[in-house]
Amino acid sequence: MKQKSVPKDLAEIPTQVIETDVLVVGGGNAGCFAAIEAKSKDPSLRVTIMEKAHISRSGALAAGMDAINTYIRTDKGETPESLVRWSRAQVGGGPIREDLALSIAEILNESVEMLEEWGLPIVKDENGRYKLRGRFDISIQGEQLKPIMAEKAMEMGAKVYNRVAATNLLMHDGRCVGAMGFGVRDGKFYVFKAKATIVTTGGACGIYKNYTSDYSGAHHQTWMCPFNVGTGYAMGIRAGAEMTSLEQRWVAVRTKDFNGPVDTISVAYGCLITNAKGQRVLRDRYAHLGGDKAPRFVRLNAPMVEWLEGRGPVYVDTTLLDEEEAKALKEDLLNERPTFVLFLASRGIDITKEPVEIYGSDPYIVGGHTGSGFWVDMDRMTTIPGLFAAGEAAGGCPNKFVGGCAAEGRLAARGAIKYLASITLPELDSQQVSEEKGRVFAPLLRGPSFDGITPVEMEERLQRLMDEYAGGISQFYRMNEERLDYALKHVKMLQSQTQYLFAKDLHELMNAHEVIDRLDVAELLIHHLKFRKETRWPGWQTRMDYPEINPELDCFVESRRDPRTGVVEVFTRPYEQIIPGDRTTG
Amino acid sequence: MPPKVDREKCDGCKAQQEPLCEQVCPGDLMTLGEDGKAYCRMPRDCWDCMSCTKACPVGAIETRIPYQLGYHVAKLIPLMGTNTITWTCIDINGKVERFRYVNRGRLD
Amino acid sequence: MDGPSSKIGLFVWDQGGRLGRAIDLAFLLENLSRAKGIGHCSIVEDPLAPGGLSPVTEGLEKGEFGRVLWVGPFSLEQQEVLRQQLAKAGLNPFLQEWCDLEEQGVCDGEVDQEARQRKALVLVQMALARTRLLEPLVPVEIPASQSVLIVGAGVAGLHAAVSLARLGKRVHLVEKESGVGGKVASLHRFYPRLCDPLCGLEFALQALIGSEMVEFHTLSRVTSVDGGRGNFHVRLTKAPRYVSEDRCNGCGECSRVCPVAIPLTSEGHRSKEYLHALTVRAIHPASPMPFPSAYVIERAYCPPDCEECLKACPSSAVNLEQEPRELELSVGAIIVATGWDPYPLNRVEEFGYGAYPNVITNLDMERVLSSNNRPPRTIGFVQCVGSRDDRHLPYCSSVCCSVTLKQVLYLKQKAPDAHCYVFYQDIRSPGFQEELYQKLKETEGVTFVRGMPSTVRPHGDTGRLRLRVEDTLSGREVNIEVDLLVLAGGMIPSRESEELAGILGLPRNSLGFFESHLQCHPEESQRSGIYVAGCCREPMNVAASIESARHAAMEALPFLNGSVLIKPMYPVVDKTKCDKCKRCMEECPFGSFYFDEDGFPTPHLGRCRQCGNCVGICPLGAISLRHLTMKQMAAQIQAASASFMGKEEPTVLAFLCQNDAYWAAREAVKRGMGVPPNVLFIKVPCAGYVNNALIADALALGIDGVLIAGCEDGQCHYVKGNQLVRKRSDDLSDKLRKMMIEPDRVRFVNLEIRDSAKYAKVMRLFVQELKAMGLNPFKI
Repeated sequence: MKQKSVPKDLAEIPTQVIETDVLVVGGGNAGCFAAIEAKSKDPSLRVTIMEKAHISRSGALAAGMDAINTYIRTDKGETPESLVRWSRAQVGGGPIREDLALSIAEILNESVEMLEEWGLPIVKDENGRYKLRGRFDISIQGEQLKPIMAEKAMEMGAKVYNRVAATNLLMHDGRCVGAMGFGVRDGKFYVFKAKATIVTTGGACGIYKNYTSDYSGAHHQTWMCPFNVGTGYAMGIRAGAEMTSLEQRWVAVRTKDFNGPVDTISVAYGCLITNAKGQRVLRDRYAHLGGDKAPRFVRLNAPMVEWLEGRGPVYVDTTLLDEEEAKALKEDLLNERPTFVLFLASRGIDITKEPVEIYGSDPYIVGGHTGSGFWVDMDRMTTIPGLFAAGEAAGGCPNKFVGGCAAEGRLAARGAIKYLASITLPELDSQQVSEEKGRVFAPLLRGPSFDGITPVEMEERLQRLMDEYAGGISQFYRMNEERLDYALKHVKMLQSQTQYLFAKDLHELMNAHEVIDRLDVAELLIHHLKFRKETRWPGWQTRMDYPEINPELDCFVESRRDPRTGVVEVFTRPYEQIIPGDRTTG
Repeated sequence: MPPKVDREKCDGCKAQQEPLCEQVCPGDLMTLGEDGKAYCRMPRDCWDCMSCTKACPVGAIETRIPYQLGYHVAKLIPLMGTNTITWTCIDINGKVERFRYVNRGRLD
Repeated sequence: MDGPSSKIGLFVWDQGGRLGRAIDLAFLLENLSRAKGIGHCSIVEDPLAPGGLSPVTEGLEKGEFGRVLWVGPFSLEQQEVLRQQLAKAGLNPFLQEWCDLEEQGVCDGEVDQEARQRKALVLVQMALARTRLLEPLVPVEIPASQSVLIVGAGVAGLHAAVSLARLGKRVHLVEKESGVGGKVASLHRFYPRLCDPLCGLEFALQALIGSEMVEFHTLSRVTSVDGGRGNFHVRLTKAPRYVSEDRCNGCGECSRVCPVAIPLTSEGHRSKEYLHALTVRAIHPASPMPFPSAYVIERAYCPPDCEECLKACPSSAVNLEQEPRELELSVGAIIVATGWDPYPLNRVEEFGYGAYPNVITNLDMERVLSSNNRPPRTIGFVQCVGSRDDRHLPYCSSVCCSVTLKQVLYLKQKAPDAHCYVFYQDIRSPGFQEELYQKLKETEGVTFVRGMPSTVRPHGDTGRLRLRVEDTLSGREVNIEVDLLVLAGGMIPSRESEELAGILGLPRNSLGFFESHLQCHPEESQRSGIYVAGCCREPMNVAASIESARHAAMEALPFLNGSVLIKPMYPVVDKTKCDKCKRCMEECPFGSFYFDEDGFPTPHLGRCRQCGNCVGICPLGAISLRHLTMKQMAAQIQAASASFMGKEEPTVLAFLCQNDAYWAAREAVKRGMGVPPNVLFIKVPCAGYVNNALIADALALGIDGVLIAGCEDGQCHYVKGNQLVRKRSDDLSDKLRKMMIEPDRVRFVNLEIRDSAKYAKVMRLFVQELKAMGLNPFKI
């Protein structure tokens, strides 16, 4: 599209105000399901989706998906409880919000089956049941997963605003009454007044530097979607919402250099982790932690240790696959990360002859995989009335993956509907709106002689800072108090320097706000990492100065930033075990 | 990672407001240049989801692995049917692999 | 979903026992009876005989099935009969499908029985796949106007108005001049009966004046047109007349007191004695014909503050403050009759038009003949001036020779001792004109010289012109002097035609005339409901203009009935998939798409011709025709098994346009012209329907070759569908090449309706080349 000319002042920029009943910020998996559920429960509701990209391919599902890792085969004796127990064990016993996890597990299967009804091909076994490729994992041919969901949301009557990036919540008397943002293509300022707001913006990527970012062509060679930067978290943080478990960073073993998925290879096709000496790493060194079935953070840390101790490179051994299996594996990969197949082709690798090299990835904050995110109640409402969260944005419940996030979107919609029954929209707070409009467009209106910094410069500064001082991959995820303090000090410095950001066009303006949002998430993240003075999940959080588990920290670590003073308080909430039994066994 | 646009084939979707690749890119990276042809404004920011490659109606876009990560030249070409997709992968040694599967509809 | 209404009743009609001899019918039926969704499967003896449909009607009544698939060689008429008969039994006509195994070559004795058997099964399964997805449809009735807009009140426009007013339709005649009549009104006489045009035009006017069904809008122009057939929304601008049409009856008192005289010439040419400079007063009767009877004022010429006419008018009809007006009309059809302009002959420099006052055009000559002055003694006529000439007009305007012949005739009648020279290349006097030509050749004082003057010069001070001509028949060069030289120039589309083409979105051919389908539908334009008549379509004489106008009126009639019935096979845009790229809007050959309130492209049902080109062009497959949806097509393709012929034999899937290609293919099979059995075909409304995703489906399924057959260029029934699909399939071929698949697996062929031999040959070659290429690498 012809680039819009840069406005000279704020007065030139039109403001569009939209009223709605339910506002969904982020039209991804959880977001689409939230919208669909809201409309199906009450077709008369006005449901609006605010999406920074285009809903048909936005977010983590842009390329597709090859599996749904949470489905309960009740005929095999699995139940919602067994799923939650397994999930708990996968994070070393927790703590996890078992209440949230159970509520998701109860409507999990139904949510997955809805996808099939809408046209998602799910692989079946000879008896016509969803075929398992892991204990709870089923295979799907999900190249069209995102378009299918997006079309359903539109069919149900949700009004979608594509290319509108959210920047802040709209608040009234401590309640969330909508969100504000700007048009990435049309350059307008948008104000959405909503009776209930559901944040489903996904997780936060790009807080840490990924190791291929040294090279100019591969800055976004991350496992996670690099366009999800934690805007939802940041907006909540700025409004004073309580966040949970941010220290449970999601780091996983990924294919080396490409950062492609490995679960498909190791779980579905049973390829085991080996090192350069040909040893079976998990079986041989981590038998006490489960061996080949060890929890994910163990599987992550293992290759890093091998590498450090001189036994790298580390692999998943695909050489034991036959031709047919190798082809089926590639087909799965084509559904999820097709360019990984291209990557193998560009190295001339025949996986039946050469194993696939693996390594850890850079750390992400992903509430769909670990428990990081907003602290929510059973209705998925955060500590800010009127603000709901679901999917990767909502915390407390790890191992949700596609199915769980979808289910949670539906739960958030139900919670939102319940809440908004008694809500009337207040008058628009014009001061708040004009302040936000000024804040949003400031980088674009600096003028030609402005001497400042580009968003990419600040982004790289942040990423390098976090990598070296807050346990990034170059440090093999290791951190200590002094480095964390250093990191915090410089993150705060960067926050004070965002006033120097300038953007030459709307795309760069979006990048500017992405770095501002990442900074707010990073700040709270470091507080969490500092607070948890123990190493409960090595890799996800390796405290060199506190290498053991501290039983007093068998609880949730919470944080909250005061919107007026900026002071961050960090505290705990107790863990409640609902499902009895040994927490470390699933 | 950098989507490579064949400038002869690309007609900028007839220099419409937004060519199809620009409409769909999740990173807001594909855009129409002054010359009426599409290009990627920041190849290093591409996540290679291949949405642009699939969307291009004249087949002008190819996704490539950056040379920092892989050798020259491997190709992965999607062909969209109504409810199937076929992929052709050609590696740097010229070996061809083909895949085909249903991407819409129940599998029974 | 599995109620009786979605089950299928499959009925086989083995006419003449041909099918039973070619394949094992019982085996086929047994196989099919187990297919998904079959409620009934049997042979029917004679479905078209009385009582022959009882197995079907009984089954419908009992609820065994709710849709019917017929297998058999039913002709189109027979299909229609079945639709009507079963409609009486309550079956929606769109819930029936036909599968003709014979036309696909199943009865071809040359082919192995096994293969024939499998092919039959595949073909029926394809038809079943489509039948399962059929939906009951009803035609859509859209209310329509009973008014018609006729642009141009010349001879064509007036006669079209007469035809329609007579039938009770409301007619709006729009004319740019102050009076009706057009070019014909300024003629002296027109052949063949040498009528006075005022008489001929008056004749048409009589039928129109006083009719409450006719409204004249003079001094008016069309400024915009929206909508489609049955419902056009038109805006007109009416320039001020400065005289009230209700009050003025043309008494002329105003003219007598008007102080200003203005020239009324054509083409801005200096007028001289021969052209009897016409002058009128600034307030004058309507022209070219004094109808409407109200006068008109050329306000630009009025002296400041002059109000003489206002004071003189006994009926207070003068209104010097009149403003232009806008008018909006709703009409069901539009007839364009905007006529012609003479080619500006000053561009043909060698003949001195514009340089010498006694060189005039044949149109000017009409005025000379109308005047009472004595005509000059010697007059030369030059034919084909600026016509049949690559530097000017490459075509022949067909009337100029006849015009000259008649002008010579009048001259001789008026001044028997005048001498006329006619300089020509060929005298074109078709039909009954020949007689006149022969007569004139014998007439004293008329000389035909076969040769064009090479120079035209003034002859000293005499005022006469000297011409040098080579008489190609005798080979001699002659010098001839004339008093007056008449140049027979050609006709070009009027400037108004050009303007209107833009407003209506009507394409014009390379010569600037409105494009129409000349042989079959000469008055039909590329926009449904808009017709073109008379010289704006092509140069023609007055009689032909009148016929053309009457014809256009007939064609327009169906859209003036108060409602238009739309067949329910119109396109539907899936708004959840559509991303508004507008390709459909751009490529639709009929400009049918517009943006709805949500900004989505939507077809205007009144304009749409249901060709399916939008389906083909949509890169997201978001558009389907009802009763021919993408899903139905994809299901058919999926059912087409990749190897019914046997492992090594390639399979070809052909998409045949049902206008020409299908008939050619059918004949080719019927006459045993050697169409290879490897071919399965699917009919499409236009080759342009074929969307690339469908070709991708076919290849992905393992089909070895895909052929798309459309009409020849220039013959596509939907203007350019064949070209659109060709460009797309070329793009696809490029992609195939990159994918290391032979690009030749996808082919396009142009076929005329009788190109059966060509079809058979192309198929044989295709199969041969596919065998050489090897099987489709996607045959996984």
